[in-house]
Amino acid sequence: MINRLEATRYLVRQLSDEPIVASCGNPKFDLFTAAEKREANFYMWNSMGMASSIGLGLAMARPEKKVIVLDGDGAILMNLNSLTTEAGKAPANLVHIIWDNGQYQITGGQPTHTGGRADIEAMARGAGFGQALTVKTFAAFKKALSQILVQPGPWILVAKTDSSDAPGRPPKSPVAIKNRFMGALRGG
Amino acid sequence: MEWPRKIVSLLKANDIASISFVPDTVIGRILKAAEQDPHFCFTTLAREEEGIGIIAGEYMGGRRGVLMMQGAGLGNCVNALASLAIPYQIPFLMLISQRGELGEFNACHVVMGKALRGILEALGIQHYTINRDDELETVLGGAIKTAYTSEQPVAVILTTALVGWKDEK
Repeated sequence: MINRLEATRYLVRQLSDEPIVASCGNPKFDLFTAAEKREANFYMWNSMGMASSIGLGLAMARPEKKVIVLDGDGAILMNLNSLTTEAGKAPANLVHIIWDNGQYQITGGQPTHTGGRADIEAMARGAGFGQALTVKTFAAFKKALSQILVQPGPWILVAKTDSSDAPGRPPKSPVAIKNRFMGALRGG
Repeated sequence: MEWPRKIVSLLKANDIASISFVPDTVIGRILKAAEQDPHFCFTTLAREEEGIGIIAGEYMGGRRGVLMMQGAGLGNCVNALASLAIPYQIPFLMLISQRGELGEFNACHVVMGKALRGILEALGIQHYTINRDDELETVLGGAIKTAYTSEQPVAVILTTALVGWKDEK
């Protein structure tokens, strides 16, 4: 099992000013805890499932920037159709990482269907992704990143994680989050 | 100029470069009028809600998008509007083709047709209705400007009085 915060910290160290879209729930807590000073972080306080779509729009609008999406299994299950749209538009600069702990961690650990029979990598391939991976160890995660951050995408990376909590909490103002993120995108 | 071409020229004049859509026959006519113009890029959505996220991402990246859908699609967008577009102040135009009013043959479109404006009002979204060709420039052009001034989504509803209705018994 991968520790999500440790993996997020490692990911951020591999990046410079690439935009990261972090889903509501724990991905945004991990990202803020790992890199609160990083301006190119977009924290979602709600709109569960929209991270993949926001990342797709950004990747299409800014093809020169690698766009990272940090999603959760519960969130992507709520917007599974977005996998077909991502794969159809296929921006080469899109890296869609899905932390999969098989549960709705933030609401008390109720199981999601990926904790049962559902397989996100298989669904991504079925949606049209040619490049989709699942990793279960931190070593495999690091190895996968060395590939997907370099080679043209779009990529799906499903990382099987534990359910540790990250202590950090991003600012609560949506407009402040957006303005800071857009400032980073303009500067880059 | 016919209404589909007039809509397309107003989108272009307002720097809207990206069209995200779930088609219906009305949206299809607008797409047809836009498809030859390299100014536009098109994203077919599997579900309308995706469009809110895509347009938010595009906007933050510096590109303006429009969401085109039938009224039914608004029902699929409500939470993304309420918890992403409105609180994060993401401006864009929603171009909505209305079913369930004049000339409707299908009872299953009527309820959403009646609910459409009430849903927009409950969300606090400004909305405008276009019944005639000669309203397009003022209403559509004005609505787009207001969206970006207020940094909020704005809806423009195209009625069957403008676009006609399906000739089915």
